[in-house]
Amino acid sequence: MNLRLELTRFLNLCFALASAFMFWKGLSIVTNSHSPIVVVLSGSMEPAFQRGDILFLWNRNTLNKVGDVVVYEVNGKDIPIVHRVMREHIDGKTGKQLLLTKGDNNAGNDIPLYAKRKLYLQKDRDIVGTVKGYIPQLGYVTIWISENKYAKAGLMGLIALSALLSNE
Amino acid sequence: MFSLSQRFQHISNQALSFAIFAAVFVVATTWAQLYRDNVFELSSSIGKVDPNINVRTSRYYGSVNGKPKENIRLTFDLDADLTPLFNWNTKQIFAYVTATYNGKLKKDVKSEVTFWDTIITDKAKAHITLDNVKSKYTIWDLEEKLSERELTFHLNWNIQPWIGSLVYGETTGQTLVTIPERKVAPKKSKSPATESEAN
Repeated sequence: MNLRLELTRFLNLCFALASAFMFWKGLSIVTNSHSPIVVVLSGSMEPAFQRGDILFLWNRNTLNKVGDVVVYEVNGKDIPIVHRVMREHIDGKTGKQLLLTKGDNNAGNDIPLYAKRKLYLQKDRDIVGTVKGYIPQLGYVTIWISENKYAKAGLMGLIALSALLSNE
Repeated sequence: MFSLSQRFQHISNQALSFAIFAAVFVVATTWAQLYRDNVFELSSSIGKVDPNINVRTSRYYGSVNGKPKENIRLTFDLDADLTPLFNWNTKQIFAYVTATYNGKLKKDVKSEVTFWDTIITDKAKAHITLDNVKSKYTIWDLEEKLSERELTFHLNWNIQPWIGSLVYGETTGQTLVTIPERKVAPKKSKSPATESEAN
């Protein structure tokens, strides 16, 4: 066993991981959103978005328009929700904007989903980003991996196997 | 030299670059077609807007701590041909009728609210003609009253693509409607939500 070769390989692995992390954080800074790429988890926006679709977010806009599809997080729940803005009220003095959202596939608006006694979302506080781009279905891999333990083990095995086999 | 993993890497790289190229091509042609068809200047007409004012005391109708809140529903006519919005990268169109208005007590507050919307997935059904249709949603304002205000109605659209960027636009028609004063009905002890009148 060549120690130098093994160490180089380890360094390369670290390099790959670090660049992936840098890419993600860089994208976060550019878009001003803590998760600039999200995978749709529910069918509440069907037929526009299905489970597993990938969405690209942008959060440098100070205001949202009615009709925008936004991702928001309610404090206390860490699941991001992708829904459409139905109403906006903007206070010209303070610059604060209130939003009411609804899923295209839901009958009613999102008031039952909001934090206790809240009737609106606040643009600057609750919104993670506005959906700008869309790729269908590719994100299903992540849902599959996170919800199926065999898939997770299989993927780990595959990575380990490819690491072992990659001596040339 | 030619190992399995190398071959796999080569093929997946090629597949990825082709997929990116195809996606860029689709998005570019879509935008070119949208501008060629002049979709950002489509016309629409909204007419016969007939508001109907209710007072609600439920949280789900905008009431805070049970204070009465004016809710507005309406009937209206709409005619708009959104057929040009359909091209080879259109998955669906979300068309929505909104109204913009200014605050009355707080003049600085500007609002836009959705009264009606629809999802169109079929090009053959993209010409919307509505006659005396009820609004889908009941609308309340931040203030207690929404009556005696000027609302400007227009039709907006959003193209959901098969892949690429979401496209938004507004049609050119505008309709100005003044919501009349609410006639105060005699007080009833129960069912506060049933009072309504139209004019």
